[in-house]
Amino acid sequence: MDKFDVVVVGGGHAGVEAAHSVFRMGLSCALVTLNIKNIGQMSCNPAIGGLGKSHIVREIGAMGGIMPIATDMSGIQYRTLNTRKGDAVQALRVQCDRDLYKKAIQKILKKTTIEVFDEEVMDIIIEKNLVKGVVTKTKTIKGAKTILTTGTFLNGKMYTGDIVSTGGRSGDPSSIPLSKKLYKLSLPMGRLKTGTPARIKLSSINIHKMEEQPGEKPTPWMSTYQKPKKHQKQISCFITRTNKKTHEIIKQSTHLSAMYSGNITGIGPRYCPSIEDKINRFKEKNSHQIFIEPEGINKDLVYPNGISTSLPKNIQTEFIQSIKGLENSEITDFGYAVEYDFVDPRSIKPTLELKTLKNFYLAGQINGTTGYEEAAAQGLIAGVNAAASILNKKELILERSEAYIGVLIDDLTNHGITEPYRMFTSRAEHRLLLSQNNAEQRLLKKAYKVGLVDKKRYNNFNEQEEEYKRFVNDILKKTKTKNFINNKKQKIKLSENKNIYKLLKRNDVDKHKLFKTNKTNKKHYKRAITETKYHGYIEKQLREVKKTKKQNNKKIPTTTNYSNISGLSNEVKERLNKNKPRTIGSAARMEGVTPAAVNLILIQLKKEELLKQKT
Amino acid sequence: MSVVYALATPPAKSAICVFRVTGKGCHKSLNNFFGSRCFEPNVFNVVFFSGLDGVVDRVGLVVFKAPKSYTGEDSFEVYAHGGLAVMSNISKAFRGFGFEEAVGGEFTKRAFLNNKISLNEAEAVSDLIDCTDENGVVLSTNSLLGGLASQVSFFAGEIDGIRVRIEAEIDFSDEGESFYDVAGLLDDLKNLKNRFDLFVGGCVNKKVGSQKKNIVLIGPVNSGKSSVFNRLVGFDRAIVSNTPGTTRDMIESELFFESSVFSIFDTAGVRDAEDDVEKAGIQYSLSQANDSDLVIGVFEESDQGVFDYFKGLCEHNRFISIQNKVDINKPIKGVFDCYVSAKTGAGFDVLKGVIGNCFQSGLKLEKYDFLIRDRHEALFNKSVSDIELAVAGLLDNKPLELVAEDLKSARSNLDEVVGVKYSDSLLGDIFSSFCIGK
Repeated sequence: MDKFDVVVVGGGHAGVEAAHSVFRMGLSCALVTLNIKNIGQMSCNPAIGGLGKSHIVREIGAMGGIMPIATDMSGIQYRTLNTRKGDAVQALRVQCDRDLYKKAIQKILKKTTIEVFDEEVMDIIIEKNLVKGVVTKTKTIKGAKTILTTGTFLNGKMYTGDIVSTGGRSGDPSSIPLSKKLYKLSLPMGRLKTGTPARIKLSSINIHKMEEQPGEKPTPWMSTYQKPKKHQKQISCFITRTNKKTHEIIKQSTHLSAMYSGNITGIGPRYCPSIEDKINRFKEKNSHQIFIEPEGINKDLVYPNGISTSLPKNIQTEFIQSIKGLENSEITDFGYAVEYDFVDPRSIKPTLELKTLKNFYLAGQINGTTGYEEAAAQGLIAGVNAAASILNKKELILERSEAYIGVLIDDLTNHGITEPYRMFTSRAEHRLLLSQNNAEQRLLKKAYKVGLVDKKRYNNFNEQEEEYKRFVNDILKKTKTKNFINNKKQKIKLSENKNIYKLLKRNDVDKHKLFKTNKTNKKHYKRAITETKYHGYIEKQLREVKKTKKQNNKKIPTTTNYSNISGLSNEVKERLNKNKPRTIGSAARMEGVTPAAVNLILIQLKKEELLKQKT
Repeated sequence: MSVVYALATPPAKSAICVFRVTGKGCHKSLNNFFGSRCFEPNVFNVVFFSGLDGVVDRVGLVVFKAPKSYTGEDSFEVYAHGGLAVMSNISKAFRGFGFEEAVGGEFTKRAFLNNKISLNEAEAVSDLIDCTDENGVVLSTNSLLGGLASQVSFFAGEIDGIRVRIEAEIDFSDEGESFYDVAGLLDDLKNLKNRFDLFVGGCVNKKVGSQKKNIVLIGPVNSGKSSVFNRLVGFDRAIVSNTPGTTRDMIESELFFESSVFSIFDTAGVRDAEDDVEKAGIQYSLSQANDSDLVIGVFEESDQGVFDYFKGLCEHNRFISIQNKVDINKPIKGVFDCYVSAKTGAGFDVLKGVIGNCFQSGLKLEKYDFLIRDRHEALFNKSVSDIELAVAGLLDNKPLELVAEDLKSARSNLDEVVGVKYSDSLLGDIFSSFCIGK
């Protein structure tokens, strides 16, 4: 029998991040996975980051997580999105070499004390409502805490046309004994679906007919600490589009799609529709963009992003070959829809521990999310909280106003989900506070305090912060000028000398011409520009956060019956009864809820409290 | 909880007005308004109140320290002279200091949440809060707001529509789609701003006219309408004499009753007058009766013909009849709604009750009527200026996420009337308006 502090089941993005955070906290950890070679596998498109997601990756990085480092070890194209907008909504997207990413993760894990087991988990050990580890085909692995990160493998079914097979990912079986065990626990479950496009040989496509999209120069980094010495070879993506003929083919065959057959009951993500969905729902559009993403540096394979489908194989070939540049496409794997079970995340606490079973944590896609970044974030949070609980440390729960990870977990555990949950910047009501570039300022100290980040990094961070403060106070606030160049390239004369920091607050100043930076203070100057630009808005958001913090965290018992509250509209009552928000804050964010309604709920809670005291 | 203030007395010209302020930290403002922060709790101080432009009024001030206050929080009350200008200046000064105007029932709610009042009392608390009816429309006796909600929700919808385009542009900029063209978006925003602005302006104008309910006293000459009027109002407002036809013009006064305000009109008695002035007065009385919310017929005796004549005058109004002078005449039971003596005051409690009942549907929520309206007016104006900011931001090439922030704020100012827009539902609108997704 093997014994560990924490047992992590699953070697995907949630699993590895969970195991690694347990390791950073100084505890022993077992990682049990079906196929050791697939640890760190990117099972969807080979890219990390993007809007709302790079923010999460940087937050993971600020807490010592491994996703950003693995990204940089395998990144083959970097692009910053939204460069014409401000800092808070800029996001880095990195195309990765699928194999190199996996290798990078495995390499990082090798440097730790995490023990990896190439085993299928058959059973979970439960004694008196306490989970005590897992049983595999060959052995018992005990752990004070168990973290389950089984992704789409729960009762996974794949559909291509009318062909159905079981499995969580092409080529991987689903985990049937474990699934059965989970069903026996009678957790609240639901069913979701997602889809993937066909994979095409790079050598069979004509990239010269497509628009090339090269990476950004100079190539940026995802990680802000301990990044690799140099980048991988950088390569381009390509853009092509569907056309009338493509749409004609798909329209005529839509009834053959698994998704339209009525066989699939799971709810798919609205932001990730299949190509047959796009064409049928938006009939007026006669072309859709396809993003050709290379699968790797030396790999003869591309991922055509934008045409996920569950049409029969012959139709897939036909419509793909109707697209410019893809006329001679050789398809290696066909697209499919995958349907899987998830556990209603309202059954877990913000620490990701299951409410009904102690010492048992769920993280990743099993909680109804989608995306590597969302999964990894949950893995980290489950890992740190499992470890913190063993070490008798305070749990790590992030606020909505301090991290996208906070928004993610709050949304999941309070609202539950109606479709696979993906992060968008518009989900964060305090978006301006949460830039991908200030993740360390928001989270590093917290991470250091709980033990996720070591002293060396913490000191290093503090030094940088001091350096920035000195730059602002000693240089920007002390350098004075009487003229500046405005946005229209005109020279403006001021009536008196003003310091640079003050001038940064003006909207009309051309900031790049205002101050000459050097190599060391360039990033500080950029930060000062952002901070001054956002100043008024940030003050306002901080005031809002402070004002509502106490009230928002007030818990609402699940037994609350909103039908009894007079003064709420029927529509709002129905919505509240259905969603059962866990806190006043999440009730207040629900559609149609007014501040008066929030007051009525508060009063109802107090009444119930008083009644309880009386009896 | 944040600091809020409210005018605790009716929003009309009166001898004094009382403002209440409550919330943790509200005592920090004392120095700012009264030039000192050291006031002994629960003691009446006479001090000067300074607003944004200097001294506003000489006022009474009582400071309450938590938990010994109505709400259980740090509080203070200001007793000022009851002129409208004073009220408006004090209100402005509070707002300028960052205090928010309380929503209806806020003080009682706080008292309740801070264990200052019992469960039984609390049953009534919910009623004080702005309620919504079954269709989600904000209920207010204020006819203005009833119809407002649907109008405001229309504007809220327009703001949502524009936010959908901007949020899509922020979150899905790599989709190869264009979600708007700047010129079109600017047009839409300016358009929206102008219409909203006009609408808010219209509301403000209406507010002035529709504040109070009207009660008109009518009756035969010398039935004692003016005496009844004076009794109701509480002081000798109308000249009373034994000479028939004393009241020739309409006399108006305000009647405060159960914290509601009525305008009560005394009118010339109706008779075949020979005097032209009196004739005109009678004419006017009759027309006024038609426009009022409640007509009170004042009679001295039971004469079916006279009674029917007056009742017939107000077919479309609520009509109650009273027999006056019951100190000298015998009450004729079963004929009138009320029996009073303006001279002795007998029966006036019952009369006030009857008047109250006539407006009962409207009385319950009317308590904070003025505040609700003023508050909403301020919120709508804030919303308009947020839209202006967004327009200026777009013209100025301000980063889009800041424009988005202005629009979010514009929308959230309307939450109180039409409810929150949930981020997930905004995303839903994006997905149904645009073909997004890889």
